[in-house]
Amino acid sequence: MTDKNHTIHSIKDLPSTHLLGTGTPMCSGCGALEAVHQIYDILGKKTVFVNAAGCMTLLSVYPFTPFRGSWLYTAMASAPAGAQGVRDALDILLQQNRIEQDEDLEVVVLTGDGAAYGMGLSATSGTMERKLDYIYICYDNEGYGNTGQQYSGATPHAARTSTSQGVSGFAGYKKNLFDIWVAHKPAYVATVIGADPLDLAKKIEKARSIEGPRMILALSPCPTGWDYDPRETVNIGRLAVKTGVWPLKEYVDGQLVHTRIPRQRVPVEEYLKLQGRFSHLFEPERNEALLAEIQAKVDAYWEKVPAQEK
Amino acid sequence: MKRTLLTGNGAAAWGARLAAVDYVPAFPITPQTEIIETLADWIDAGEMAGRLVTMESEHSMITAAGGAAATGVRVFSATSSQGLLYAMEMLYTVSGWRAPFVLTNVSRGLSSPITLEPDHNDILAARDSGFLQIHCASCQEVLDSTLMAYRLAEDERVRLPVIVNLDGFYLSFTREPVEIPDADAARQFVGSFDAENIRFRASAPESQAVAVLGGGPYSYFRYETHLAAMNGLAVYDEIAEEFSECFGRKHEAVEAYKTDDADYLFVMMGSFATKAREAVDRLREEGWAIGLLRPRLLRPLPAARLQQLLAGRKGVAVIDQNISMGMGGVLHSELASVLYGRNDAPPVLASFIGGLGGRDISTEEFFEMAQALRQAVKLGQAPPPRLLYTETELREVRKLQAIAQVERSTLST
Amino acid sequence: MYRIRFHGRGGQGMKTASRILGTAFFLEGYEVQDAPRYGAERRGAPIFAYVRADRAPINERGIIRHPDLVIVADDSLVPVPAAGVLAGITEHTLMLINSAEKEEVWKERLNHSGSILTLPVAADMIEKAELPYVGAACAGAAACLTGVITEASLEQAIRDELAELGADVVEKNLHNALTAYQAMAPHAGQVEEGSLVSADGYQVPDWIDLPFDDARISAPSIHAAATSVMIKTGLWRTQRPVIDYDRCKGCWWVCSSYCPDGAINVVDAMPVIDYDHCKGCMVCVAQCPSHAIEAIPEKQAQAKEEDARLVMGETT
Repeated sequence: MTDKNHTIHSIKDLPSTHLLGTGTPMCSGCGALEAVHQIYDILGKKTVFVNAAGCMTLLSVYPFTPFRGSWLYTAMASAPAGAQGVRDALDILLQQNRIEQDEDLEVVVLTGDGAAYGMGLSATSGTMERKLDYIYICYDNEGYGNTGQQYSGATPHAARTSTSQGVSGFAGYKKNLFDIWVAHKPAYVATVIGADPLDLAKKIEKARSIEGPRMILALSPCPTGWDYDPRETVNIGRLAVKTGVWPLKEYVDGQLVHTRIPRQRVPVEEYLKLQGRFSHLFEPERNEALLAEIQAKVDAYWEKVPAQEK
Repeated sequence: MKRTLLTGNGAAAWGARLAAVDYVPAFPITPQTEIIETLADWIDAGEMAGRLVTMESEHSMITAAGGAAATGVRVFSATSSQGLLYAMEMLYTVSGWRAPFVLTNVSRGLSSPITLEPDHNDILAARDSGFLQIHCASCQEVLDSTLMAYRLAEDERVRLPVIVNLDGFYLSFTREPVEIPDADAARQFVGSFDAENIRFRASAPESQAVAVLGGGPYSYFRYETHLAAMNGLAVYDEIAEEFSECFGRKHEAVEAYKTDDADYLFVMMGSFATKAREAVDRLREEGWAIGLLRPRLLRPLPAARLQQLLAGRKGVAVIDQNISMGMGGVLHSELASVLYGRNDAPPVLASFIGGLGGRDISTEEFFEMAQALRQAVKLGQAPPPRLLYTETELREVRKLQAIAQVERSTLST
Repeated sequence: MYRIRFHGRGGQGMKTASRILGTAFFLEGYEVQDAPRYGAERRGAPIFAYVRADRAPINERGIIRHPDLVIVADDSLVPVPAAGVLAGITEHTLMLINSAEKEEVWKERLNHSGSILTLPVAADMIEKAELPYVGAACAGAAACLTGVITEASLEQAIRDELAELGADVVEKNLHNALTAYQAMAPHAGQVEEGSLVSADGYQVPDWIDLPFDDARISAPSIHAAATSVMIKTGLWRTQRPVIDYDRCKGCWWVCSSYCPDGAINVVDAMPVIDYDHCKGCMVCVAQCPSHAIEAIPEKQAQAKEEDARLVMGETT
């Protein structure tokens, strides 16, 4: 089983041909699609993706779908509940021998941060409560991207969005969804990013081998919403990790482990200055106070990471 | 077969049990809760196969119901009032999936002000959702309609979810004698469901409920849903006929009670319609040629049948247990549209609104509506819409308002 | 058609009573409707349940306006307007009151032109609101009064309705119900089926056109504070907590803080129970560290008050 479940040890083990069909209407340089197609390669086509309203709703537009497996669009708030219905129905069919075992599917929720951090949180919490056997993927581009990047519960402090255009940007702070999930004690929780495909692949492989609610939070650089040149998607993703803004970590068997420790953390402003949504921190003049506050938040996070991990 | 006393809620649960449902996503709400408690008890005791899962909201409940139906199992669920409205987005959504299942709604008035007692604004809010609707007037009908609803929902000419509606309190908590069909006979009548090509299987990739761009495809899919709903008329009649052959009870799309020679008709839906039946009997004792029409099927609306039954009458009183703010009774509007432009339409179509939030309608009020109707016919003019409301009731409200300290000086009596 | 209403308090088994009677009628071949009337149903609060029975299918629905038989499980409810015990009773209505007092007393007190019977079911049963023994006794008495329900049907109905509660409960209820049934034997068949409303010469409803009231009046808003104190929830009480001030240490907080209803206030360093609102939960009795609060049956307490009043009256 280990062979089947854990085949990815190095970059060379990553798939070189890809399962998710091309031809989707996602923006060019989409960091979410980058993560989703990598995830799909690992999960495979014996899956049914249950989608919540968001950018990825448009992956399947009649009569075109990139999925080689199955898909169900639900609504913004209740994709996890849709997953519950599909999973329960498959279990009933299997239990009653109405379908063969090899007709079974892995049920996967695909949702943006708008739904995951807000409207869909109650339905997500419900599935964790009920120990639903499914994988939950949130592509987090830190705002209501599909409607033009208004701020959401996932928007970071100071980011300019189309509903936070003032000199200081978004006044709130990014909600700690990872910890909210962990508080439910699901089977697995991990952060990933498309810019680190090996870390992502290992985590999805691990998730696939576990039963129960498995929660994946993928930071998804968004050229349209974050206002940068699409070619920078991977660079920005890498900087998110190197600056420590986006800790790559996983929670499994009740333990929290960081899977990448940026020992020499790059200053956060290196990450921020590539993005138009933070340009007001640098122009017309540097907003030292805000930059320092953002850096201090990141530093404070890593100071709390136990020494043995570092 | 066994004849016993059952509440409307109990009858709904028996309907689900006899239809051999596989899956019951649930959420508690008064006055529906007894249905899911009953099913949970049976499943826990091993008397019934199937799985019941309590979700965290009705919105999620209907999503799970749709998800399971889209995977190809037989699904039952139940709700009421605010729950139905909380689920409203998903009612519209899942009907478009063309994944059939049956939902019981126990009618209860809507907030605000919030109340526990029944009227039909909840179910009528779902009128245009794509769910077909069967309205019941007795506990027996609740059970029978649930079985019939599965046939209707799953028929290949229809493939739409169906709501079976019953009134809170007046049916939900009221026991009446109900014949419970034998499990085998019910099973045979309902049959098994094959979702064919609308389901999730590893061997057959399928993307369901996908987006469209542009009005052309959107209109196509929406109108196909409408055509399917319209097919429900003929399919329903077939099912009602077959049901009557199997179980000896005929549940027509429109109940016509003592209408053959009737000059005057009451029209109303739901359990209060039996009060109208009682009034018809009493009025007939005094020589009135009066009857009752009760649409059981509201969606699809049996327009042709209603036209035929209403044709040539002198006067019709529509009693709506609902109110569309700024318009009035919904059933009255529906009948007016059904009758418009027909030469044989009754000259008087009077609108009465009564029974909001469980407010009783007395037999005397039915008599008085009949009088008003006869008067209107004499004058050749429909009376203005009337809320069934008495001076005594207003006086009681004024007392409550005095306690609530609204400005007394501005109150009329 | 028989139209029968049971009145009692939440917890006294009125729903069970209506179900037992409904099932008994059904076993005798009647068409039946039975239903409890829930509302703010709480233990101790007034509730009612009703039964209709007829040889023909029943088209009437909902509350019974003019009952043929009214059974009151708890006589303290009779004068409570919110309980609606007397609603719609006419000279045709037979009233059966579970009461230790004489029929003549009730007849005079209520000025009721119809018949009144009493059924003295053990007072301690009422005090403890022993669910659903009172209900079964009421159903048994009602069954006899109809004159169309045999003891055998009554027994079967009780077995059907209470089976889930276990053999002991069934037997106790059966005993109470049959005792009540037999006690009513001299009055068997005294309930008369009510007639149907006639469309000739009925009482015309006093319909009005509802006037427009602007939102300041017609929004469901209460423009005042704490109007709920007007509701005398003390009427729910079947047990009364009484403070023995000789033993009360005047701790100033225990009973007062724990009372869920805030119905105990400390006045001059001593707790005072607001009996208009005390629902009789007995949390104070359970929590008082010096055991200074005693639970006594409400009826007993009221009788004492009455005596005290009489004594006062005699002396002044």
